[in-house]
Amino acid sequence: MKKRIFLGFLVPMVAVAFLAGFSTAALAAKIKIGGIMDTTGATSDVGKDYAIGMEEAWKYINEQGGINGKKVKYTWFDYGYRIPEAITKYKLLKRLRSIVIMGWGTGDTEALSPTVNKDKIPYVSASYSAHLTDPKKTRYNLFFSSDYSTNARAALTAWLDKKWPTKPDYGKRKPRFACAYMFASPYCSAPIKAIKDHAAMLGFEIGPDQDVSLFALDTKSQIMALKEFKPDVVWHGNTTMSVAATMRDAYALGLGADFIINNWGFDENLPRLAGEAADNLVVMGATPCAFFGQNYKNMDIVVRTAKKYNPGIPTSKRLIRTIQAWGDALITWEALKRADKAGDLSGPGIMTKGFETMRKFDIGLGASPITFTATDHRPTTGCLIQEWKNGKFVEVERVDLKKRWPAKWAKEWLGW
Amino acid sequence: MRKNLAVLVIAIIGVAMLFSCAGMTAKPTASNFKTPVITLESFMVPQYDGFWYYSKKVKPTKGRPGDRGAPLPMTFLFNIENPNPYPVLLEGFRFTVAIEGFDLVTVNNDDAYWIPAGKTDQVRATTMITARSALLSLLVTGGFKLKAMGMNPWQALEKWWTGVPELKVPVTLHEGAATFSAGGVTKVVSFQAKFP
Repeated sequence: MKKRIFLGFLVPMVAVAFLAGFSTAALAAKIKIGGIMDTTGATSDVGKDYAIGMEEAWKYINEQGGINGKKVKYTWFDYGYRIPEAITKYKLLKRLRSIVIMGWGTGDTEALSPTVNKDKIPYVSASYSAHLTDPKKTRYNLFFSSDYSTNARAALTAWLDKKWPTKPDYGKRKPRFACAYMFASPYCSAPIKAIKDHAAMLGFEIGPDQDVSLFALDTKSQIMALKEFKPDVVWHGNTTMSVAATMRDAYALGLGADFIINNWGFDENLPRLAGEAADNLVVMGATPCAFFGQNYKNMDIVVRTAKKYNPGIPTSKRLIRTIQAWGDALITWEALKRADKAGDLSGPGIMTKGFETMRKFDIGLGASPITFTATDHRPTTGCLIQEWKNGKFVEVERVDLKKRWPAKWAKEWLGW
Repeated sequence: MRKNLAVLVIAIIGVAMLFSCAGMTAKPTASNFKTPVITLESFMVPQYDGFWYYSKKVKPTKGRPGDRGAPLPMTFLFNIENPNPYPVLLEGFRFTVAIEGFDLVTVNNDDAYWIPAGKTDQVRATTMITARSALLSLLVTGGFKLKAMGMNPWQALEKWWTGVPELKVPVTLHEGAATFSAGGVTKVVSFQAKFP
């Protein structure tokens, strides 16, 4: 009898403990995601905001239940914009069984691309080089944004649509166009072939390129060379400081050209650095998403989360880079939810049952709808172009390249 | 037989009550969760290699040439005071290190530490920058600011690499954020510090 009583208690207790143990284990199940960020190197001024924004996004995602109830363990490292360090950190994150890695720059993303594609680990980076959009070559490289070439084509199109008709010489001659960028930089030079192709197609007269270092504080010689050509519009493909230096000199020397700028040179710091040049020149740029705090869908979530997890950073210091981080995190979240629902969180599963099932997926935040297919990883078909006007950023035009040039979009422009 | 059964039931309930009471005395809620306090106890350069820089044009005795700069490791020891009558979990913390107003590294630590009830624990964070990474950061982003200060990047680097280890150049921590949780309640604490 004693034995029966003992068993009568012991068995249910053991069963409960066993179940509790299992449920604890289930609750503890975490999906590991890695991050390789730059918070010390050449791009740390924007890299820090991106890294912090990325961490905030994953915290928010966990607040929302993570990946269908599974929490995310997001682990990131600084690599100081050094490619060998990025490779080392990638190997570490792989050893830690990260199923997706959030990356950063063009140099390291392209250096890691063969390994990432061999390992079949989705690598969602902040490098938007069009070279990474052809799945035949770089299937596991992804990002949410319009690629640099799409940015460039869209910016030039918007300028021709909205600014050229306001110029005195409109209708009298061809518009003149030139490029300023650091020739040796992979990021800066990535879209040059595309924008020149676009300029030729739109009937621009194309002037000589100007080599402007990312470190430049003085660009007078380049501006003097441009003055001989008299461009109506200049594409600047650098990052914020050297873009500001060029604008300052262009304004001081009376170049008389408008500026269209790639996304990494066009942020909340540009008007601060360029000063009166920003207020007096026409300054437009590619914005694959909204600036921090701009009135777009889901921006309230981003701002609220930033205040919650980083109360020590004033929102006035936050940048569009936070929004870019959220863009990459949100598409990854969606892909993981879809792949998990299909029961396959392997690399190929995340790709085919996650990312490549997205059709015009709307993340809000001013971004264009996002589509990935098995044959085309250009996330968007166009880009929002904004300008700095009367002390704030305002929309100029949302250019959809696929709508305007469907045949070229489909047959000619993929992967460059 | 029934007596034995009753004794067993009472014993189980008694133990359960003891455990639950222990928890009840200090159950964390949003209203009673007092903000933990973070202070910087000390700062040091744990290993020092001087100030040097050589470009990839210089052939090294061994190894491959490259743009290389002296490392500057930095260790920060924080006091984490938990004023609550229950333990709190430090889930991670982050801060930015600046020298003379230039942000040089954002340190992130995702390790978890339990801070006992009513106690002060210590947590150490270590990071490292190199003269090469700091140079690039200054060149790409700090040009205007340095110019306004009447310095060039090389002057700034030498001043920092020789001055920081001897505490002649102060190190500032800002934009600090630490996430604490207890019983499902989460609190983010911001902090900043300067040393010396």
